[in-house]
Amino acid sequence: MVGRAPIWIIFVVGIVGCLWIIPIIGIVATSLQTTDSIARGWWHFGENEFSLQAWYTVWQTYPLAGSLWVSIKITLAATALTMVTAPAAAYVFHYLRFPMRRLWLIIIINAFVLPQQVVIIPLFQLWREVGLLDNMAAVVIPFVGLSYAWAVFLIKSFLEDFPKELIEAARIDGCGPIRTFTQVVLPNLISPIAACGILQFLWCWNTLLLPMLFLRSDISLTVLLARIAGTYDPNLDQQAVAAIVTALIPLAIFLLFQKQFAAGNRVSSGGKE
Amino acid sequence: MAQVELKGVSKRYGSVEVIRDLDLVVEDGSFTVLVGPSGCGKSTLLRMVAGLETVSDGTLEIAGQKANDLDPVARGVAMVFQNYALYPHMTVARNIGFALKIAGNDKAEVEARVRQAADVLQITHLLERKPANLSGGQRQRVAIGRAIVRNPQVFLFDEPLSNLDAELRVSMRVELARLHQQIKATMLYVTHDQTEAMTLADKIVVMRDGKIEQTGTPEQLYGDPNNSFVAGFIGSPRMNFLPAQAEGGKLRLVSGVELPCPPALAGPVSVGIRPEHMVPQDGRTHSLPVTIDMVEYLGGTRYLYGRLADEAPVAVEARERVDIRPGETIDVTFNDRDVMLFDASGTRIRSATHNS
Ligand SMILES: Nc1ncnc2c1ncn2[C@@H]1O[C@H](COP(=O)(O)OP(=O)(O)OP(=O)(O)O)[C@@H](O)[C@H]1O
Ligand SMILES: [Mg+2]
Repeated sequence: MVGRAPIWIIFVVGIVGCLWIIPIIGIVATSLQTTDSIARGWWHFGENEFSLQAWYTVWQTYPLAGSLWVSIKITLAATALTMVTAPAAAYVFHYLRFPMRRLWLIIIINAFVLPQQVVIIPLFQLWREVGLLDNMAAVVIPFVGLSYAWAVFLIKSFLEDFPKELIEAARIDGCGPIRTFTQVVLPNLISPIAACGILQFLWCWNTLLLPMLFLRSDISLTVLLARIAGTYDPNLDQQAVAAIVTALIPLAIFLLFQKQFAAGNRVSSGGKE
Repeated sequence: MAQVELKGVSKRYGSVEVIRDLDLVVEDGSFTVLVGPSGCGKSTLLRMVAGLETVSDGTLEIAGQKANDLDPVARGVAMVFQNYALYPHMTVARNIGFALKIAGNDKAEVEARVRQAADVLQITHLLERKPANLSGGQRQRVAIGRAIVRNPQVFLFDEPLSNLDAELRVSMRVELARLHQQIKATMLYVTHDQTEAMTLADKIVVMRDGKIEQTGTPEQLYGDPNNSFVAGFIGSPRMNFLPAQAEGGKLRLVSGVELPCPPALAGPVSVGIRPEHMVPQDGRTHSLPVTIDMVEYLGGTRYLYGRLADEAPVAVEARERVDIRPGETIDVTFNDRDVMLFDASGTRIRSATHNS
């Protein structure tokens, strides 16, 4: 039953919403104003001058389109790989028995507590050794590897609730482990996999450290943003432009898949509960 | 068609022995029902036959072939689960045809056989639906359809009707019996429900603690149980057990009632009488005063639950329209030939004076 919300709730939610929206308005306004106007404060809409100068400058001086493309490639590759391999790993750990199963699981899950910074130096040496520096793979591989900690954990915990009878029914129907996974388990894991995909996408997209260290010629958007911010010019307007471009894609993803965040989609084997 | 045979089968989980050295023959084409208290190992036994659990010890034979290490599919068994276990992302048609598809049948063949199975179960109109949009009874039919479509040699059912409401359970029971007549496959069926066991079974297997207490037709188990466990388990309300003392060819019950018994017998025994053999009318050999606590009215008959003078609980069946109220003390009568004797360990004492 959906009841009617009391007025005060609408009021409170409205205020919170406004608080959240102000920085966004601010950053868009900043990107569209001249340097002098920004110095005065972006909210003086009456007196401030608007211009597309910052957008133009960023577009001219920095490889914005190139970086966007690099970011998209890296993020999509890392996300797709996670979405395919993490469920498979979760399934294997949950349903199959093999030697040292627990140990492996603990090792993988424990990467949770491992900060990126710890792996960077050995990884850098390794990539230099095998000649992967400045290659997309140098970033995609650790992105996927580091995601297993939470992705495998998330999907495995979803499998805890997965009806055991479905797996058994599949066995009796003649499925081996692989077919059971692809035909019975996977189609019912759509929502946790989508959730994993979204989280992984956002994380990869926003990460700065790995691409900054491992990429030289083709840089990602976050690295570009850092470079713009790193110059000594008063270039708040340009930074705003880069920030908007960087934030646009995750925002779109979020809007597109917001339903997947509302989880609580349990698989049932059909019994009356 | 196939016979299932277990020879000295055990099942252990770690150090816990759940099935102990069990021998059982499920005859070809029979409808065999496993009953027993919760946790006695019925499901485990069924799942070993299905191939979902390994056999720790002993031999499992299906159709005369050793099946201990065979894959579930290779055993030619189909199983119907208590909560149906339908694949939620598939339509009814795909659920039923899934095993055939996995086995590599071509599309037309799968479709034809799904349709045939659906016809048998009268679910043709549901074929395009998803399980979530079916009622409990319809889901159960789909689950059965999924089993029959493969023409298995052996059907395994684990409490298939226990999620249905009472009325549906009765009609599905009738349908299962009809289905068995029709396809004549071997069926091994686990249930908690007395009536299901009595009405469906050619043979009932009563289990306790991982062992078989007795096997036999429903009539045999009801009329001639080997021990007080089986006697108490089969039949509802359960058999009355009255404590008695045997001495010099006489059984002394509470309230001074005496029954004849074999002269050799001495010491404490238990006298078993079924509720329908204890009636609140005159005209039978023995009579006991019973204080009634509760009357259960079931239309055609009513059951009276009460206590003897020594507080032993008894249930009595009253078919005639008698007006008996809780609190009253009435005389309940029974005949010698309806009495079964059990010794202190529960084993039946058979003798010439009593029915054997
Ligand atoms: N995986 C397991 N590990 C350890 N013990 C188990 C396992 N599975 C079952 N058991 C034990 O085996 C015994 C028999 O279980 P089973 O499920 O066969 O009982 P059941 O007769 O089917 O009971 P119910 O009528 O309640 O379904 C129980 O005592 C149970 O605790
Ligand atoms: Mg069970």
